Amino acid sequence: MEKPLATLRSATGVPTGRLAVWWLLASEVVIFGGLLGAYLMFRLGHPEWANAAAVTNTWIGATNTFVLLTSSFTAVLAHQAAEKGDGVKAANYLFMTIGGALLFLIIKSFEWYYEISHGYTITANGFWSFYYTAAGIHAAHVIAGAIIMGFIAVAARKGKELQRVELVGIYWHFVDVVWIFLFPLLYIAK
Amino acid sequence: MSEHTEHPTTATGQDAHDGEHHTNYFKIYVTLLVLLVISILGPEIGILWVTLVTAFGIAFVKAYLVIQNFMHLRPEKVIVKWMLASSLLLMGIYFFGVAPDVMKHEGRNWVNMAAMAVVERGIPLDGEHAEEDEHADDGESPGEGEEAAVVAETPFNAAQAYGTVCASCHGAAGGGDGPAGASTTPPPADFTSADFWAATNDERMFQVIKNGGASQGLSPMMAGWGVLYDDDDIRQIIEHLKTFRP
Ligand code: HEC
Repeated sequence: MEKPLATLRSATGVPTGRLAVWWLLASEVVIFGGLLGAYLMFRLGHPEWANAAAVTNTWIGATNTFVLLTSSFTAVLAHQAAEKGDGVKAANYLFMTIGGALLFLIIKSFEWYYEISHGYTITANGFWSFYYTAAGIHAAHVIAGAIIMGFIAVAARKGKELQRVELVGIYWHFVDVVWIFLFPLLYIAK
Repeated sequence: MSEHTEHPTTATGQDAHDGEHHTNYFKIYVTLLVLLVISILGPEIGILWVTLVTAFGIAFVKAYLVIQNFMHLRPEKVIVKWMLASSLLLMGIYFFGVAPDVMKHEGRNWVNMAAMAVVERGIPLDGEHAEEDEHADDGESPGEGEEAAVVAETPFNAAQAYGTVCASCHGAAGGGDGPAGASTTPPPADFTSADFWAATNDERMFQVIKNGGASQGLSPMMAGWGVLYDDDDIRQIIEHLKTFRP
């Protein structure tokens, strides 16, 4: 089957698909950077937020950090398998990564359910609106990543489009990196 | 069809990654987990700089490890690094351009009264929430319990309110010489001046503090604070103002 020219050509020396993922991430840096930067400014200007931050459960945050780090690990193993041309193994690792994404979301749902039912809603105060906005946009990225990984894993199982395993991996690690910063900002700094 | 004609991009991709094939991913993963444990335990000690280093310093180390070893940014072409660097630079400009206005609540010629009011109002601690919730909970929604907690847990302190909200204009010692009042015309009332006390009375002051200077034909630069303070609070503030009276 013929592939579109853009997939084959690589004027920069970086494969076009990968370059596109980096462009995507460059724009994500601005989205998350803007949000976290704004949070930081408010947090430093509002000492009283410490009392709100004290409510967040460090252990839940830590567990989710562990889950995401592990899913990043399986994502990079999928990439390694794809490089060796082993589509089935790559797909299996991707499914494990998706499992990590789901576990992350389940834990997050319980956490939010508990917090919301105790009156800590997005309108409670500045801290909580940042909390839900930042973690919510991040969770949306987790959901999107899990869906895309599902498609790529199904294709990879048949040995198709193995280069995409690396591409979705790069995106996934970025989602992990964002959480690495969200964790101390929302859970540890009391 | 060979792998190479089918996936030319993979072939090019692997060129860039030569030499990276032997990264020991497991070792990096274990390192990340160890760092995670440190970043949780460090802040438990409760020393500020230990918290900052273990929580935020380690976040940067973890991010660096993931970016270099899992995302393989290191062997990537330099154009990618420039792309990411320009995004970060834009972030930096944004942060340092906006931060002074957001982080500070007053400057030479301005005061952010809303922000000051929020700081002043505070947020009750969780423990206090919980206790209060138990008393107020019977059938009530959690939101209402929380409201009750806010009111019950922060007894009004007129001197403190004056210090955080009014002093920026009226001066810490009531002399009308606060930094934010330096450029208002007319200047903020000078509570240490006998003339001021001769010209006003409790009722007028009450109206001005509650509904703003404009309500009494005075300058609108003196905003109304009725939203923040109830009538009783305002009476307490007026008593506090009288401590400046000569
Ligand atoms: C933005 C600066 C600003 C802040 C903040 C401010 N004031 Fe004023 N205030 C003024 C100015 C300006 C006037 C003078 C208005 C005039 O004379 O037209 C004034 C006048 C007054 C007067 C005199 C009213 C009278 O009867 O003449 C009182 C009392 C007063 N302020 C109380 C307060 C209290 C209490 C607070 C804090 C809750 C406060 N102000 C915060 C600017 C400020």
